[in-house]
Amino acid sequence: MSAPILWILLPILIGSFTLLLLRERTVAVIGGGTSLVLAGIALIVPIDEALRIGPLSLKIASSASILGRSFLLPPADAPLLVIIFGMCALWFFGAEAAGVALRLIPLGLIITALLVASIAVQPFLYAALLIELAVMAAVPLLSPSDQKPGRGVIRFLIYQTLAMPFLLFAGWLLAGVEASPGDLTLTIQSTSMLGLGFAFLLAIFPLYTWIPQLLEESSPYVVGFLLWLLPTIASIFGMSFLDRYAWLRTSPEVLAGLRGIGLLMLLSGGLWAAFQRKLERLMAYTAIAETGFILLALSLTTAGSLDLFFLLIIPRGLGLAVWALALSILKKENASLEFSSAQGLARAYPLASAALVFAVLSTAGFPLLAGFPPRLALWQGLAGASFGAAILFLIGLLGLLVGAVRMMAVLVMQKEETRWSLKENWIQRGMLGIGITGLFLLGIFPQIMRPFLENLPLMFQHLGR
Amino acid sequence: MLILISILLLFVTALALLILRITQREFRFAWLTALSGTVLAWLVVLLWQTQLPLSFTFPSWQPASLFTASPGLSADGLAWPYAFSLVTLTVAILLTSSVREDFPNSYLWAVEIALCGIGLMAVTAVNPLTLALVWAALDLSELIAMLREAPDQRSSERAVIAFSTRAAGIILLLLANAVSAAAGKPLDFLSTPPQAGLLLLAAAGLRLGVLPLHLPYHSESSLRRGLGTMLRLVSSASSLILLARIPTASLESPVTPLLLILSAIAALYGGWMWMRAPDELTGRPFWMIGLASLAVASALFGDPTGTVGWGIALVLTGGALFLSSLQQIWLNRALWVGAWALSSLPFSLTAFGWQNNTSGWGFFLPVFLIAQAFIMTGYVRHAMRPSTRAPLSAQPVWAKMVYPAGIGLLLLIQFILGFVGWDGAFAIGTIPAGIAASLLTLGLLWATPRFAFLNPVRAHWVQPSVTPRLDQLYQNLWVLYRWLGRLTQSISNVLEGDGGIMWTLLFLIFFVLLITQRKP
Repeated sequence: MSAPILWILLPILIGSFTLLLLRERTVAVIGGGTSLVLAGIALIVPIDEALRIGPLSLKIASSASILGRSFLLPPADAPLLVIIFGMCALWFFGAEAAGVALRLIPLGLIITALLVASIAVQPFLYAALLIELAVMAAVPLLSPSDQKPGRGVIRFLIYQTLAMPFLLFAGWLLAGVEASPGDLTLTIQSTSMLGLGFAFLLAIFPLYTWIPQLLEESSPYVVGFLLWLLPTIASIFGMSFLDRYAWLRTSPEVLAGLRGIGLLMLLSGGLWAAFQRKLERLMAYTAIAETGFILLALSLTTAGSLDLFFLLIIPRGLGLAVWALALSILKKENASLEFSSAQGLARAYPLASAALVFAVLSTAGFPLLAGFPPRLALWQGLAGASFGAAILFLIGLLGLLVGAVRMMAVLVMQKEETRWSLKENWIQRGMLGIGITGLFLLGIFPQIMRPFLENLPLMFQHLGR
Repeated sequence: MLILISILLLFVTALALLILRITQREFRFAWLTALSGTVLAWLVVLLWQTQLPLSFTFPSWQPASLFTASPGLSADGLAWPYAFSLVTLTVAILLTSSVREDFPNSYLWAVEIALCGIGLMAVTAVNPLTLALVWAALDLSELIAMLREAPDQRSSERAVIAFSTRAAGIILLLLANAVSAAAGKPLDFLSTPPQAGLLLLAAAGLRLGVLPLHLPYHSESSLRRGLGTMLRLVSSASSLILLARIPTASLESPVTPLLLILSAIAALYGGWMWMRAPDELTGRPFWMIGLASLAVASALFGDPTGTVGWGIALVLTGGALFLSSLQQIWLNRALWVGAWALSSLPFSLTAFGWQNNTSGWGFFLPVFLIAQAFIMTGYVRHAMRPSTRAPLSAQPVWAKMVYPAGIGLLLLIQFILGFVGWDGAFAIGTIPAGIAASLLTLGLLWATPRFAFLNPVRAHWVQPSVTPRLDQLYQNLWVLYRWLGRLTQSISNVLEGDGGIMWTLLFLIFFVLLITQRKP
């Protein structure tokens, strides 16, 4: 048994199998269970080490060759696999409550496997192709076969696809830079290509217009899953570049650029969130701001910047899952999620409404919630580096907070005397309850993430040391 | 460990009450359970005295490279009186609940006891991080409680607005943290940089409604006497403790006089409105603004002990008055203890209230003394208006014994704290200030029945419509907000419309040009 077969091939096979199933619950249990088991194996069974269970000896080899390409998942990648598949389990179990298990889980498993493959593939530049495959697999997820693809889906496909040639071209140029490090023109060209590639891939301002459109057109839960997974893996892919090329990670201009773009994402996300009149679009802009936080974490030159980057991942995933689930529940019951139609929904759907509010407050870094500890650390780090950046960071957070308060005001604004009731079903209550509890737990005790995050920086040979 | 024990006792009692309410709706000893748990916590807090200073650290936040501070609790001579006042208030609320119309209501008791637990954590917060977490817990609890009770759309809106104002206070606290980080120091209460000190003051002032002057709620009469009193007083105490933690040196700044002016305006307004409020519950927001302004002034005068004096007077004296819903002649007379506690006379709670440890600003004192006199006059007026209350004699025998014990406990504790137990006890204080405030109060009490403008009128509130300049400011902000909203909407329309991709490509060209102009 090898790690790539276990964490890449197996999910693809199980995902393909679940395409044939028809019952939401069965698919949710299979998808969630598979992810949970894969996360458990990554947590318990060491890679490349023999594990003795009585007379049996079990060893998971770190590499495998698939279709002529080498895939390597070294022991240092195990914590990341735990996080990815653990979060996938949460998303997949919640898919039944959101009513999208049949759509999300089969293709979700395949997309996850492809993105894990993008981390594992050698040489690492092939990751761009695997990410592109994952993007293509996402299209039927976003736009069912009986529906005409909307503008958001098309734009998503265009922008994500445009990333690939830029990244491949940048990789080719970077090989040249390695051969002749003194060639400034080549260095500038390769940096530009790389920047453009990641601008498309990470949906940097203003290339993120597909996100709000997609959230209006497709199921919020499905889009939320992609908004969690794609930027996380794309960021790790981007970090491979920083790790590999010393001139890139030590260049003050590159770091300043990352900070500038991160702030731009946070500011534009925050500002736009403050003025939205639709719940889906508000979620879109909070997701955009989340990408800004990731870029800002990468821009810090302090020793803990990598720790900070990984500290952002779990709260981000959980926050988006809670957001997306709550939004799906409200959207199922209330066709329009315009503020004017969502007035007073909290009286009928208090748990879903509370989940929405807590999720957006968590993104805004409200104390007690999962997003607070990483944002506090990020804010302190930024203030140490540049006080101006810290003030802009504050403005971005304020925008998100204004968005949260406006949404809250709308949700609790009952039109007439309405009694409180609880219209969510038991599965929805359970999943929302778990999500909200998780948000508070991570906000009060962020150290509980430590066992999963401690060794993650070792994934990178230079950045993590 | 004693800190944790007392807090755990409160939370366990609250949890037990909730579980009992869900599992055994007919359980007859809920009140006794609530009272026993709270009295035990009260005794444990009393025991803190034997081991002060106390501290308790929660497991530290990891990774240590990112988090320079972790949540923790500590009690000293300034935190203890707040903690003791809050637990005493909770015991009093439970004792006086025996005469309330909704007795028994174990859900309300659970909320009140849990709020006391959160309050205890706030007043013992060891650093701004802990305080931010506890403030957030308090704000969310208050929001949920207010929304649950909100009878109409307007009340819901007010609850959300109040929450956002408080959240702004938390942001100021966190901004102080960022300012400190920029100066290369982790923010704690011992070594606060000057800029951060002012932000801490602004954070507390904003949450208290003093800086700038604002009222989060229009009217308080709809809130239950017990829960409303608990919510408001715990919330105030949790903000007031911050004033006692700001090092004096960090408040010496060119903006100090401006802050003193704003505090004086808030104190005069709060005191005046409190004095003329039709009843004590309607006037409760003004009571808090008035006394909180005096506490802010004490902080600006470099007198942390004074801020604690005003703070515990706000809780204990206010608590006794707001919980008094029945008439009994001896209780009415006993409420005079509160007037003494507010007087700044020797051995009173507020004896240290006007200690000026700064090099100047003494000329502001008369303004604050006038405000203090307004507050005392209002207190005496509200305490001595028994005709509006039902008689205690109409209550069952056991309630006739238990209810006075609740009010009496609050009065007794404020009397005792004037003499022992904390850093500001047994103090002579500033005798001239105390005498001046007391004489002014007597004068106002004499004048009240004689001059119409001093008598209660239908309360009016801080509203944009009655303050044209503020109205103009809000309108300008609203215009700016709508303009920004239209701008973002236009940009979104352009980028998401048919020509969006072209605009994006144009942006990319600029992006490439920008990069190629610079060396990597």
